Formats: sequence, C-alpha cells, structure tokens
Amino acid sequence: MVIIPATTGQMGVLPGHVATIAELKPGVLSVHEGNDVKKYFVSSGFAFIHANSYADIIAVEAVPVDQIDSAAVQKGLADFTQKLNTATTDLEKAEAQIGIDVHSALNAAITG
Amino acid sequence: MASNAAVPFWRAAGMTYITYSNICANLVRNCLKEPHKSEVLSREKVHFAFSVWKEGKPLKPVTRLDSPQE
Repeated sequence: MVIIPATTGQMGVLPGHVATIAELKPGVLSVHEGNDVKKYFVSSGFAFIHANSYADIIAVEAVPVDQIDSAAVQKGLADFTQKLNTATTDLEKAEAQIGIDVHSALNAAITG
Repeated sequence: MASNAAVPFWRAAGMTYITYSNICANLVRNCLKEPHKSEVLSREKVHFAFSVWKEGKPLKPVTRLDSPQE
C-alpha cells in the first residue's frame, strides 16, 4: 500500500485502486510492503494511478525522510514566517506562504 | 463549463505551476543533510523561456534563469 500526500488529503492506494490522477502537496509518501515502511518526502508533483494497479509518482524532488536536516527546517520555518510578516506584494506573500507550507510539511515529516 | 472554484493561492498571485513546483523543490534541497545537499545543489540551475501570447501571436519571450542563491 502507498499513502500519498494529495492536495485533497492523505490518500491510501492499494492494488485495484480506481485509475486516478492526484496533484501532490509537499509531504510524506510512505510505501508499505508487509511490515516494512519506506518514507520519502516529495516536494510537490503528481501521482498517476493506473487501472492495472501501477502507480507513477512524478516529483521534482523526492528524498528519503532521514536525509532531512532538522536544524535547516526550523531555521527555514522561522525565516519564512518572518518573511510573510514583512511581505508587501502578492507575489512576496505567495512565496513566503510556500516557504511556510514546505517547511511545516518537512517538520511534520521528521517529527511524525 | 469553466468553474470559478478557488484557485491555489500561488496561482492567484500570478505564479505558474512550474515556478511553484521549482520553488518547493529548491526549498527541500536546501533542507538536506550533507553529503546529500552538495549532490543535489547542481539540480537547482534552471533555464527556461516564457512567452506571453496575445491575439494569436507570441510577444517577446522572457528568459528565466534561476541559479542557486549561493
């Protein structure tokens, strides 16, 4: 089973799942094979679940969760929270919000 | 039938999906432990041309060069 971080929420995919295309948000993708779980953090992207029970995950960056540096995540979260407060244009606010979203998701991945 | 359902905040701010996705990827790359971080920093370099179309003709293309902040 695979749990994918879709924009609509965590989505569990088992063999036989209906063919779906899901947009992913920054978050943890966990692959469960029996009792073995592998967790990857995907930066964003898409998941294509095909009718023949194959799923393709398309992401610009996907890293094993144990490669994430906790100190860098905390610093990033603090920096972007600060940036959101000082942002003036819509674009700056959007960039700051993206920073907060990604770092919050990274934080949840390492503490979850 | 086009719906006016809520668009993601980044699109409302004028950002395209590619830009959003690349920003997310760069943020993730900067939060990695060494040695993985040095390995992936070379992927941060992006070069693409962006053209706005008006009345069926492309206007002058804008080239975006995103290189790592360091």
